Amino acid sequence: MPSIDGHDEPPVSRRRVTDRATGDHVADVDPAGASSAATPGPGSRPLVLPASTRPSVRGRIGVEVVVDGWRFEFDVEDADLSDLRARATAAREAGRHHGPTDVRAIIPGRVVSVAVAVGDDVEAGQRLLSVEAMKMENELRAPRAGTVERVAVGPGQTVELGDSLIVLR
Amino acid sequence: MGERPPFDRVLIANRGEIAVRIIRACHEAGMAAVAVYSDADAEARHVRLADEAVRIGPAAPADSYLRIDAIVEAALSTRSAAIHPGYGFLSERAAFARAVEDAGLVFVGPPSGVIDALGDKLHARRVALSAGVDAVPGTHDPAPVDRADAVDGIVAEAERIGFPVMVKAAAGGGGRGMRLVATAAELPAALAAGSAEARAAFGDGSVYLERVIRPARHIEVQLLGDASGRVVAIGERDCSLQRRHQKLVEEAPAPGLSADDRRDLHERAVRVATAAGLRNAATAEFLRGPDGATWFLEVNTRLQVEHGVTELVAGLDIVIEQFRLAAGRPLSEAALAAAERAATPSSHAIEVRLAAEDPSRDFAPSPGRIRHWVMPEGPGVRVDTGVGDGDRVPPDYDNLVAKIMVHAGDRPAAIDRLRRALDETEIAGIQTTLPFHRSVARHPGFAAAELSTDWVAETWDGPAARAAVVQIAAAAAAGAAVAAPAASDARDPSRDRPAAVAPVSGWAAAARADAVDRWPR
Repeated sequence: MPSIDGHDEPPVSRRRVTDRATGDHVADVDPAGASSAATPGPGSRPLVLPASTRPSVRGRIGVEVVVDGWRFEFDVEDADLSDLRARATAAREAGRHHGPTDVRAIIPGRVVSVAVAVGDDVEAGQRLLSVEAMKMENELRAPRAGTVERVAVGPGQTVELGDSLIVLR
Repeated sequence: MGERPPFDRVLIANRGEIAVRIIRACHEAGMAAVAVYSDADAEARHVRLADEAVRIGPAAPADSYLRIDAIVEAALSTRSAAIHPGYGFLSERAAFARAVEDAGLVFVGPPSGVIDALGDKLHARRVALSAGVDAVPGTHDPAPVDRADAVDGIVAEAERIGFPVMVKAAAGGGGRGMRLVATAAELPAALAAGSAEARAAFGDGSVYLERVIRPARHIEVQLLGDASGRVVAIGERDCSLQRRHQKLVEEAPAPGLSADDRRDLHERAVRVATAAGLRNAATAEFLRGPDGATWFLEVNTRLQVEHGVTELVAGLDIVIEQFRLAAGRPLSEAALAAAERAATPSSHAIEVRLAAEDPSRDFAPSPGRIRHWVMPEGPGVRVDTGVGDGDRVPPDYDNLVAKIMVHAGDRPAAIDRLRRALDETEIAGIQTTLPFHRSVARHPGFAAAELSTDWVAETWDGPAARAAVVQIAAAAAAGAAVAAPAASDARDPSRDRPAAVAPVSGWAAAARADAVDRWPR
């Protein structure tokens, strides 16, 4: 497949597609077959845009795709590279305990209340704070047990999608 | 129109698509339009379209669009003669209408006394009773909420009505304060919770009980009234497709009614409205049970979100009519002619409400920045919206982003047109209810007019619908990302456009877009 620069691309390996929001593996796609893999009906033609924010990992490409009105945000990377990285990470993780966990805003809005303070021990699932968006309160809960290391926001503050709110250790 | 404008200059106390729609009516009728805006809306379309705009405060509604003093002051300082409240916000607050009247301005809507009376649903039920119109069976006085000694009495009343019963807020709207109660044991807690929610939302914790009509169709009648006391019905709408008491799809006329059914329904709506002393525009809502029995529910004393489908079928501009009526003119020839034809409609209109909500996650809010926006066009299509490409849908307000309406000779043709229009619709950057609406437009049950307020809960499986296309999306993503070189030159602005069927487009542009297209801080 010719690139935009007009050169011929070297043969490409499989692409790994992960869901940006959840980190879930969605598919490994052979790009050679990708364009002919699906022929959706009228109105279901995929709309493809670069993602609105940069992926956090080098070598990944952020993509927003809309199919039949459904919006997806994916990270796409070389599957072999991804496997390598996964092995390296596993080896590193095995050698140490939990690192800090960053609790980020999953919705833009206004912080209504913060239920914890620095130094508090929290259990998995414990309420950390509430963010109000479109007249609805959304509770953010601890993804795991730990100690609150940092509280980055206060009541009344406006937060954007992906903002760091609380750090757990 | 050919006649003198009802007013020289009017202020629109609202935002979003309805402010835009009202400004358009002003301009067609030869009136200057004054917008108000919060800090979140400084760049909004209603501000850009208005002849003048006044900032009224920060983003939070309580600090801006709900500030009666600031809005009245804005009207006075811009020498506006009238204020149109739109829907939501202050539109059904009698205190607002009164403040407008007291300032020597004209409120475009019913008089404050009528809003007060009909805004209290308990009062509206009593008005219907006095006019000989059957309301949904239930109580007619506020239920005791925090008196333990009164629990037995209210439980006995609920038993008489028959479980399940609905707890409803007298001052309610938008489903707030409402609780479905299946058993007597749950009733006291439901009354307390509903009352607390109603007090927080409306400042009035009065609640009452109503029989649950199920399955039910929600049918409402559009009313117009002039200063002489004459009230006419200009057609009915079916708004049965709802979730959490929020309407998703509306159509006019209501399918499956005979001309006699329509005449009867319209006549009952006019009777309630006349008894209440209605002026200007309002909507009487009814529930139609599976046996065809139709019960009066309530009157909304404002322009409805879904007024457009009635406009399309009736051939009448309801907003311009509102301004004429507010200026003291009698019902127009056009309005009277529309009322004459109302029982025998000769066309069909359907509206879908595109909202910034995720229909795979129980319609959770999904505000954000719109990155791509293509609305349908062509024969029989009307789109009312307050946003466009690059606009931000702020988390502070209602999540309605566009109303897509279609109009055709009959219902099947309108559904064909709706399907076509929704297939042309493209939105990226935010998740919307578009997938749900596309599914409705193709659903055999919808085509057969098997409508009920439980329809969404019974037929919509959002997670499955989304899962059905995830592999197509992943393949498109992988295909597009193949030839993404490291950032090189990409000056061609057309590369910022989304690619069709995943052709390999400029991923250098992607890198650049990454750098510039950030969420605002």
